Amino acid sequence: MTTTKKSVLTAVFIALCVVLPMAFHSIQNAGSIFLPMHIPVLLCGLICGWQYGFITGIVGPVLSSLFTGMPPMAYLPSMIVELSVYGLVTGLMMKFVHTKNLYADLYISLISALITGRIVAGIARALIFARGSYSMAAWATSYFVTGLPGIIIQLAIIPTLIFAIQKARLIPARYTK
Amino acid sequence: MNRMPLGMYMPFESVIHSIDARVKLVCFLALIVSVIITDTLVGYIVILSTAFVFIVLSRIPFKIALSCLYRLRFFLIIIFVMNALFFTSENILVSWWIFNISKEGILQGVHVVLRVVLVMLFSTCLTATTSPVELTKALESLFRPLRYVKIPVGQICMIISIAIQFIPVISQEALLIKQAQTARGARFESRRLIEKAKESLALVIPIFLSAIRRADELALAMEARGYRSANTPEKRSLKLSLREYAGFVVSAAVCALQIMI
Repeated sequence: MTTTKKSVLTAVFIALCVVLPMAFHSIQNAGSIFLPMHIPVLLCGLICGWQYGFITGIVGPVLSSLFTGMPPMAYLPSMIVELSVYGLVTGLMMKFVHTKNLYADLYISLISALITGRIVAGIARALIFARGSYSMAAWATSYFVTGLPGIIIQLAIIPTLIFAIQKARLIPARYTK
Repeated sequence: MNRMPLGMYMPFESVIHSIDARVKLVCFLALIVSVIITDTLVGYIVILSTAFVFIVLSRIPFKIALSCLYRLRFFLIIIFVMNALFFTSENILVSWWIFNISKEGILQGVHVVLRVVLVMLFSTCLTATTSPVELTKALESLFRPLRYVKIPVGQICMIISIAIQFIPVISQEALLIKQAQTARGARFESRRLIEKAKESLALVIPIFLSAIRRADELALAMEARGYRSANTPEKRSLKLSLREYAGFVVSAAVCALQIMI
Protein backbone atom coordinates (compact mmCIF):
# COMPACT_ATOMS: atom_id res chain seq x y z
CA MET A 1 0.00 0.00 0.00
CA THR A 2 1.35 3.47 -0.89
CA THR A 3 2.08 6.14 1.73
CA THR A 4 -0.63 8.38 0.23
CA LYS A 5 -3.27 5.65 0.55
CA LYS A 6 -2.18 4.89 4.11
CA SER A 7 -2.40 8.61 4.98
CA VAL A 8 -5.89 9.00 3.47
CA LEU A 9 -7.09 5.79 5.15
CA THR A 10 -5.74 7.10 8.48
CA ALA A 11 -7.67 10.35 7.93
CA VAL A 12 -10.85 8.36 7.30
CA PHE A 13 -10.31 6.29 10.44
CA ILE A 14 -9.81 9.49 12.46
CA ALA A 15 -13.07 10.87 11.00
CA LEU A 16 -14.77 7.60 11.95
CA CYS A 17 -13.51 8.08 15.54
CA VAL A 18 -15.74 11.18 15.59
CA VAL A 19 -18.71 9.89 13.56
CA LEU A 20 -19.14 6.32 14.90
CA PRO A 21 -19.64 7.28 18.57
CA MET A 22 -22.24 9.85 17.41
CA ALA A 23 -24.09 7.22 15.40
CA PHE A 24 -24.01 4.90 18.41
CA HIS A 25 -24.97 7.40 21.08
CA SER A 26 -28.49 7.63 19.69
CA ILE A 27 -28.84 3.90 20.48
CA GLN A 28 -29.42 3.38 24.19
CA ASN A 29 -26.21 2.43 26.12
CA ALA A 30 -24.46 1.50 22.86
CA GLY A 31 -21.50 3.81 23.52
CA SER A 32 -20.40 1.99 26.66
CA ILE A 33 -21.32 -1.46 25.31
CA PHE A 34 -19.66 -1.35 21.87
CA LEU A 35 -16.79 1.09 22.63
CA PRO A 36 -17.19 2.48 19.07
CA MET A 37 -14.11 4.70 19.10
CA HIS A 38 -11.84 1.69 19.66
CA ILE A 39 -12.86 0.03 16.38
CA PRO A 40 -11.35 2.58 13.91
CA VAL A 41 -8.11 2.80 15.93
CA LEU A 42 -7.66 -0.98 16.03
CA LEU A 43 -8.49 -1.24 12.32
CA CYS A 44 -6.04 1.53 11.44
CA GLY A 45 -3.21 -0.23 13.28
CA LEU A 46 -4.08 -3.54 11.60
CA ILE A 47 -4.40 -2.13 8.07
CA CYS A 48 -2.00 0.82 7.87
CA GLY A 49 0.70 -0.01 10.42
CA TRP A 50 1.89 1.09 13.85
CA GLN A 51 2.79 4.71 13.02
CA TYR A 52 -0.64 5.40 11.53
CA GLY A 53 -2.46 3.50 14.28
CA PHE A 54 -0.55 5.50 16.89
CA ILE A 55 -1.52 8.83 15.22
CA THR A 56 -5.19 7.75 15.01
CA GLY A 57 -5.12 6.82 18.70
CA ILE A 58 -3.95 10.32 19.59
CA VAL A 59 -5.81 12.52 17.09
CA GLY A 60 -9.12 10.58 17.03
CA PRO A 61 -10.20 11.17 20.65
CA VAL A 62 -8.87 14.77 20.60
CA LEU A 63 -10.93 15.68 17.51
CA SER A 64 -13.97 13.84 18.87
CA SER A 65 -13.71 15.72 22.14
CA LEU A 66 -13.38 19.06 20.32
CA PHE A 67 -16.21 18.44 17.85
CA THR A 68 -18.73 16.59 19.99
CA GLY A 69 -17.62 17.05 23.61
CA MET A 70 -17.19 13.26 23.92
CA PRO A 71 -15.07 11.95 25.63
CA PRO A 72 -15.17 14.74 28.26
CA MET A 73 -11.83 16.55 28.76
CA ALA A 74 -11.31 14.85 32.14
CA TYR A 75 -11.19 11.37 30.53
CA LEU A 76 -9.34 12.47 27.42
CA PRO A 77 -5.69 11.93 28.56
CA SER A 78 -6.20 8.35 29.76
CA MET A 79 -8.24 7.56 26.65
CA ILE A 80 -5.46 8.92 24.42
CA VAL A 81 -2.95 6.66 26.19
CA GLU A 82 -5.22 3.61 25.84
CA LEU A 83 -6.11 4.17 22.18
CA SER A 84 -2.60 5.10 21.05
CA VAL A 85 -1.26 1.87 22.59
CA TYR A 86 -4.00 -0.08 20.76
CA GLY A 87 -2.98 1.45 17.43
CA LEU A 88 0.73 0.96 18.13
CA VAL A 89 0.52 -2.65 19.33
CA THR A 90 -1.88 -3.89 16.61
CA GLY A 91 0.43 -2.40 13.96
CA LEU A 92 3.58 -3.90 15.50
CA MET A 93 1.99 -7.32 15.98
CA MET A 94 0.73 -7.40 12.39
CA LYS A 95 4.26 -6.54 11.27
CA PHE A 96 5.97 -9.28 13.24
CA VAL A 97 3.36 -12.07 13.50
CA HIS A 98 2.97 -14.18 10.36
CA THR A 99 1.18 -17.49 10.99
CA LYS A 100 0.05 -17.83 7.35
CA ASN A 101 -3.53 -17.60 8.58
CA LEU A 102 -5.21 -14.18 8.44
CA TYR A 103 -7.62 -14.82 11.29
CA ALA A 104 -4.86 -16.15 13.58
CA ASP A 105 -2.72 -13.04 12.88
CA LEU A 106 -5.69 -10.77 13.50
CA TYR A 107 -6.71 -12.40 16.77
CA ILE A 108 -3.14 -12.53 18.12
CA SER A 109 -2.67 -8.83 17.29
CA LEU A 110 -6.07 -7.78 18.63
CA ILE A 111 -5.86 -9.68 21.91
CA SER A 112 -2.29 -8.46 22.59
CA ALA A 113 -3.33 -4.87 21.85
CA LEU A 114 -6.49 -4.99 23.97
CA ILE A 115 -4.56 -6.38 26.95
CA THR A 116 -1.49 -4.10 26.59
CA GLY A 117 -3.62 -0.98 26.06
CA ARG A 118 -5.66 -1.63 29.16
CA ILE A 119 -2.57 -2.36 31.27
CA VAL A 120 -0.75 0.79 30.08
CA ALA A 121 -3.85 2.96 30.53
CA GLY A 122 -4.35 1.52 34.03
CA ILE A 123 -0.71 2.26 34.94
CA ALA A 124 -1.03 5.80 33.50
CA ARG A 125 -4.17 6.40 35.56
CA ALA A 126 -2.65 5.02 38.74
CA LEU A 127 0.60 6.98 38.39
CA ILE A 128 -0.47 10.19 36.62
CA PHE A 129 -4.14 10.92 35.94
CA ALA A 130 -5.81 9.60 39.12
CA ARG A 131 -2.84 9.31 41.48
CA GLY A 132 -3.78 8.05 44.92
CA SER A 133 -7.43 7.43 44.10
CA TYR A 134 -7.11 4.43 41.80
CA SER A 135 -7.18 0.79 42.83
CA MET A 136 -6.70 -2.60 41.17
CA ALA A 137 -10.43 -3.33 41.65
CA ALA A 138 -11.41 -0.05 39.95
CA TRP A 139 -9.07 -0.86 37.03
CA ALA A 140 -10.43 -4.40 36.59
CA THR A 141 -14.04 -3.20 36.83
CA SER A 142 -13.72 -0.28 34.43
CA TYR A 143 -11.56 -1.99 31.81
CA PHE A 144 -12.70 -5.63 31.89
CA VAL A 145 -16.11 -6.00 33.57
CA THR A 146 -17.96 -2.93 32.20
CA GLY A 147 -16.30 -3.19 28.81
CA LEU A 148 -16.58 -7.00 28.46
CA PRO A 149 -19.45 -6.90 25.92
CA GLY A 150 -17.42 -4.31 23.99
CA ILE A 151 -14.33 -6.55 23.96
CA ILE A 152 -16.34 -9.55 22.72
CA ILE A 153 -18.06 -7.47 20.04
CA GLN A 154 -14.75 -5.96 18.88
CA LEU A 155 -13.23 -9.43 18.57
CA ALA A 156 -16.22 -10.48 16.48
CA ILE A 157 -16.58 -7.33 14.33
CA ILE A 158 -12.98 -6.42 13.47
CA PRO A 159 -11.85 -9.65 11.72
CA THR A 160 -15.19 -9.67 9.84
CA LEU A 161 -14.59 -6.08 8.75
CA ILE A 162 -11.02 -6.77 7.60
CA PHE A 163 -12.26 -9.78 5.66
CA ALA A 164 -15.05 -7.70 4.04
CA ILE A 165 -12.59 -4.90 3.15
CA GLN A 166 -10.15 -7.40 1.62
CA LYS A 167 -12.96 -9.09 -0.28
CA ALA A 168 -14.04 -5.72 -1.68
CA ARG A 169 -10.38 -5.32 -2.83
CA LEU A 170 -10.02 -2.02 -1.00
CA ILE A 171 -6.79 -3.21 0.67
CA PRO A 172 -4.24 -5.73 -0.63
CA ALA A 173 -4.63 -9.33 0.57
CA ARG A 174 -2.22 -10.32 3.36
CA TYR A 175 -1.76 -13.87 2.06
CA THR A 176 -2.31 -14.84 -1.54
CA LYS A 177 -3.54 -18.39 -2.18
CA MET B 1 -34.09 23.08 13.80
CA ASN B 2 -31.50 24.00 11.17
CA ARG B 3 -28.77 21.36 11.09
CA MET B 4 -25.17 22.20 10.27
CA PRO B 5 -22.88 19.23 9.60
CA LEU B 6 -20.18 19.04 12.29
CA GLY B 7 -17.00 20.95 11.55
CA MET B 8 -18.46 22.68 8.48
CA TYR B 9 -16.84 25.92 7.33
CA MET B 10 -19.23 28.83 6.74
CA PRO B 11 -17.67 31.36 4.35
CA PHE B 12 -19.02 34.68 5.71
CA GLU B 13 -17.15 37.97 5.96
CA SER B 14 -16.59 38.79 9.60
CA VAL B 15 -13.93 39.97 12.04
CA ILE B 16 -13.40 36.42 13.34
CA HIS B 17 -13.10 35.02 9.80
CA SER B 18 -10.34 37.49 8.96
CA ILE B 19 -8.15 36.68 12.01
CA ASP B 20 -5.06 34.54 11.26
CA ALA B 21 -5.85 30.83 11.83
CA ARG B 22 -2.75 30.38 14.03
CA VAL B 23 -3.94 33.12 16.36
CA LYS B 24 -7.42 31.57 16.41
CA LEU B 25 -5.98 28.17 17.32
CA VAL B 26 -3.89 29.58 20.19
CA CYS B 27 -6.87 31.61 21.48
CA PHE B 28 -9.09 28.53 21.18
CA LEU B 29 -6.67 26.50 23.32
CA ALA B 30 -6.52 29.28 25.93
CA LEU B 31 -10.33 29.37 26.08
CA ILE B 32 -10.56 25.57 26.42
CA VAL B 33 -8.09 25.76 29.33
CA SER B 34 -10.36 28.44 30.87
CA VAL B 35 -13.39 26.15 30.50
CA ILE B 36 -11.51 23.30 32.20
CA ILE B 37 -10.27 25.31 35.18
CA THR B 38 -13.39 27.35 35.90
CA ASP B 39 -15.78 26.22 38.64
CA THR B 40 -17.54 29.40 39.75
CA LEU B 41 -20.74 31.06 38.56
CA VAL B 42 -18.88 34.26 37.67
CA GLY B 43 -16.36 32.22 35.69
CA TYR B 44 -19.08 30.51 33.66
CA ILE B 45 -20.86 33.84 33.02
CA VAL B 46 -17.60 35.38 31.73
CA ILE B 47 -16.87 32.43 29.41
CA LEU B 48 -20.49 32.21 28.18
CA SER B 49 -20.45 35.95 27.43
CA THR B 50 -17.15 35.51 25.55
CA ALA B 51 -18.67 32.67 23.49
CA PHE B 52 -21.76 34.82 22.81
CA VAL B 53 -19.60 37.76 21.66
CA PHE B 54 -17.50 35.48 19.41
CA ILE B 55 -20.62 33.99 17.79
CA VAL B 56 -22.08 37.47 17.18
CA LEU B 57 -18.76 38.73 15.74
CA SER B 58 -18.40 35.66 13.51
CA ARG B 59 -21.94 36.21 12.11
CA ILE B 60 -22.85 32.54 12.50
CA PRO B 61 -26.66 32.39 12.89
CA PHE B 62 -27.52 31.40 16.48
CA LYS B 63 -29.95 28.77 15.25
CA ILE B 64 -27.11 27.01 13.44
CA ALA B 65 -24.62 27.38 16.31
CA LEU B 66 -27.16 25.93 18.73
CA SER B 67 -28.10 23.05 16.40
CA CYS B 68 -24.84 21.29 17.39
CA LEU B 69 -25.99 21.41 21.02
CA TYR B 70 -29.52 20.32 20.10
CA ARG B 71 -28.07 17.19 18.53
CA LEU B 72 -26.39 16.36 21.86
CA ARG B 73 -29.49 17.06 23.97
CA PHE B 74 -29.99 13.43 25.10
CA PHE B 75 -26.29 13.05 25.95
CA LEU B 76 -26.41 16.29 27.98
CA ILE B 77 -29.57 15.20 29.81
CA ILE B 78 -28.06 11.76 30.57
CA ILE B 79 -24.81 13.17 32.00
CA PHE B 80 -26.77 15.65 34.11
CA VAL B 81 -29.12 12.97 35.45
CA MET B 82 -26.25 10.52 36.12
CA ASN B 83 -24.38 13.14 38.13
CA ALA B 84 -27.50 14.31 39.95
CA LEU B 85 -28.64 10.80 40.92
CA PHE B 86 -25.39 9.00 41.72
CA PHE B 87 -23.11 11.68 43.22
CA THR B 88 -22.01 10.62 46.71
CA SER B 89 -22.57 13.38 49.21
CA GLU B 90 -23.46 13.85 52.87
CA ASN B 91 -26.23 16.39 52.19
CA ILE B 92 -28.81 14.17 50.49
CA LEU B 93 -32.08 15.92 49.62
CA VAL B 94 -34.07 12.92 48.38
CA SER B 95 -33.11 9.24 48.63
CA TRP B 96 -34.87 6.30 46.97
CA TRP B 97 -33.47 2.80 46.29
CA ILE B 98 -30.00 3.35 44.73
CA PHE B 99 -30.70 6.97 43.79
CA ASN B 100 -29.54 9.86 45.94
CA ILE B 101 -30.31 13.40 44.89
CA SER B 102 -28.06 15.96 46.54
CA LYS B 103 -27.31 19.65 46.02
CA GLU B 104 -23.67 18.79 45.22
CA GLY B 105 -24.76 16.18 42.67
CA ILE B 106 -27.03 18.65 40.88
CA LEU B 107 -24.23 21.25 40.87
CA GLN B 108 -21.76 18.67 39.53
CA GLY B 109 -24.23 17.81 36.74
CA VAL B 110 -24.60 21.49 35.84
CA HIS B 111 -20.78 21.89 35.80
CA VAL B 112 -20.26 18.95 33.41
CA VAL B 113 -23.09 20.03 31.09
CA LEU B 114 -21.85 23.64 30.99
CA ARG B 115 -18.31 22.51 30.17
CA VAL B 116 -19.46 20.34 27.27
CA VAL B 117 -21.71 23.16 25.97
CA LEU B 118 -18.90 25.73 26.12
CA VAL B 119 -16.35 23.47 24.41
CA MET B 120 -18.91 22.77 21.67
CA LEU B 121 -19.65 26.49 21.18
CA PHE B 122 -15.98 27.43 20.90
CA SER B 123 -15.16 24.54 18.56
CA THR B 124 -18.16 25.44 16.34
CA CYS B 125 -16.91 29.02 16.27
CA LEU B 126 -13.40 27.86 15.28
CA THR B 127 -14.39 25.38 12.57
CA ALA B 128 -17.17 27.56 11.10
CA THR B 129 -14.84 30.55 10.70
CA THR B 130 -11.67 28.75 9.57
CA SER B 131 -11.46 26.75 6.37
CA PRO B 132 -9.88 23.27 6.67
CA VAL B 133 -6.98 24.41 4.46
CA GLU B 134 -6.26 27.39 6.74
CA LEU B 135 -6.57 25.15 9.80
CA THR B 136 -4.06 22.67 8.36
CA LYS B 137 -1.61 25.41 7.46
CA ALA B 138 -1.97 26.84 10.96
CA LEU B 139 -1.28 23.44 12.51
CA GLU B 140 1.71 22.93 10.20
CA SER B 141 3.08 26.30 11.15
CA LEU B 142 2.57 25.81 14.91
CA PHE B 143 4.07 22.30 14.87
CA ARG B 144 6.98 23.33 12.64
CA PRO B 145 9.62 22.95 15.41
CA LEU B 146 8.74 19.21 15.68
CA ARG B 147 10.45 18.54 12.37
CA TYR B 148 13.78 18.82 14.19
CA VAL B 149 12.94 15.54 16.01
CA LYS B 150 12.15 13.86 12.66
CA ILE B 151 8.36 13.96 13.09
CA PRO B 152 6.65 14.20 9.66
CA VAL B 153 4.65 17.32 10.54
CA GLY B 154 3.48 17.96 6.95
CA GLN B 155 2.07 14.47 6.56
CA ILE B 156 0.36 14.48 9.97
CA CYS B 157 -1.26 17.87 9.24
CA MET B 158 -2.43 16.62 5.85
CA ILE B 159 -4.03 13.61 7.62
CA ILE B 160 -5.76 15.88 10.18
CA SER B 161 -6.99 18.21 7.42
CA ILE B 162 -8.49 15.34 5.37
CA ALA B 163 -10.02 13.89 8.55
CA ILE B 164 -11.73 17.22 9.38
CA GLN B 165 -13.10 17.44 5.83
CA PHE B 166 -14.34 13.85 5.98
CA ILE B 167 -16.29 14.30 9.26
CA PRO B 168 -19.41 16.02 7.75
CA VAL B 169 -19.36 13.71 4.71
CA ILE B 170 -19.16 10.46 6.70
CA SER B 171 -21.59 11.82 9.28
CA GLN B 172 -24.26 12.40 6.60
CA GLU B 173 -23.57 9.01 5.09
CA ALA B 174 -23.85 7.27 8.48
CA LEU B 175 -27.23 8.92 9.00
CA LEU B 176 -28.41 7.74 5.58
CA ILE B 177 -27.19 4.18 6.23
CA LYS B 178 -28.94 4.14 9.60
CA GLN B 179 -32.20 5.32 8.04
CA ALA B 180 -31.88 2.77 5.24
CA GLN B 181 -31.25 -0.08 7.69
CA THR B 182 -34.18 1.04 9.86
CA ALA B 183 -36.37 1.02 6.74
CA ARG B 184 -35.18 -2.55 6.08
CA GLY B 185 -36.36 -3.55 9.55
CA ALA B 186 -33.27 -3.13 11.75
CA ARG B 187 -34.29 -2.68 15.40
CA PHE B 188 -31.55 -0.56 17.00
CA GLU B 189 -33.69 0.11 20.08
CA SER B 190 -33.95 -3.56 21.09
CA ARG B 191 -33.19 -4.23 24.75
CA ARG B 192 -31.55 -7.60 24.15
CA LEU B 193 -27.77 -7.36 23.89
CA ILE B 194 -27.40 -10.07 21.21
CA GLU B 195 -30.10 -8.50 19.03
CA LYS B 196 -28.55 -5.08 19.56
CA ALA B 197 -25.11 -6.43 18.56
CA LYS B 198 -26.52 -8.03 15.40
CA GLU B 199 -28.28 -4.83 14.38
CA SER B 200 -25.21 -2.71 15.09
CA LEU B 201 -23.20 -4.93 12.77
CA ALA B 202 -25.62 -3.90 10.03
CA LEU B 203 -24.71 -0.30 10.80
CA VAL B 204 -20.94 -0.61 11.31
CA ILE B 205 -19.96 -2.68 8.26
CA PRO B 206 -21.64 -0.46 5.60
CA ILE B 207 -20.29 2.71 7.29
CA PHE B 208 -16.73 1.34 7.22
CA LEU B 209 -16.95 -0.03 3.70
CA SER B 210 -18.35 3.19 2.28
CA ALA B 211 -15.77 5.33 4.16
CA ILE B 212 -12.87 3.14 3.02
CA ARG B 213 -14.16 3.17 -0.56
CA ARG B 214 -14.13 6.99 -0.43
CA ALA B 215 -10.56 6.92 0.94
CA ASP B 216 -9.51 4.60 -1.86
CA GLU B 217 -10.97 6.93 -4.51
CA LEU B 218 -9.37 10.00 -2.95
CA ALA B 219 -5.94 8.33 -2.67
CA LEU B 220 -6.17 7.22 -6.30
CA ALA B 221 -7.11 10.76 -7.42
CA MET B 222 -4.25 12.26 -5.38
CA GLU B 223 -1.70 9.83 -6.80
CA ALA B 224 -3.01 10.36 -10.35
CA ARG B 225 -2.33 14.09 -9.90
CA GLY B 226 1.21 13.37 -8.75
CA TYR B 227 0.77 14.02 -5.01
CA ARG B 228 3.83 13.29 -2.89
CA SER B 229 3.61 13.68 0.90
CA ALA B 230 5.22 16.92 2.01
CA ASN B 231 7.26 16.41 5.14
CA THR B 232 8.64 19.92 5.43
CA PRO B 233 5.99 22.48 6.28
CA GLU B 234 6.38 25.85 4.58
CA LYS B 235 7.55 28.76 6.68
CA ARG B 236 4.92 31.47 6.96
CA SER B 237 5.58 34.84 8.55
CA LEU B 238 2.99 36.07 11.03
CA LYS B 239 1.96 39.72 10.73
CA LEU B 240 -0.21 40.69 13.66
CA SER B 241 -2.87 43.36 13.18
CA LEU B 242 -5.16 44.95 15.75
CA ARG B 243 -7.68 42.07 15.38
CA GLU B 244 -5.08 39.43 16.22
CA TYR B 245 -3.84 41.42 19.23
CA ALA B 246 -7.44 41.88 20.42
CA GLY B 247 -8.02 38.11 20.10
CA PHE B 248 -4.89 37.34 22.14
CA VAL B 249 -5.77 39.90 24.82
CA VAL B 250 -9.39 38.71 25.23
CA SER B 251 -8.42 35.00 25.43
CA ALA B 252 -5.51 35.67 27.79
CA ALA B 253 -7.71 37.88 29.96
CA VAL B 254 -10.47 35.25 30.20
CA CYS B 255 -7.88 32.58 31.04
CA ALA B 256 -6.15 34.77 33.65
CA LEU B 257 -9.51 35.66 35.21
CA GLN B 258 -10.38 31.98 35.64
CA ILE B 259 -7.04 31.35 37.37
CA MET B 260 -7.56 34.31 39.73
CA ILE B 261 -11.23 33.63 40.65
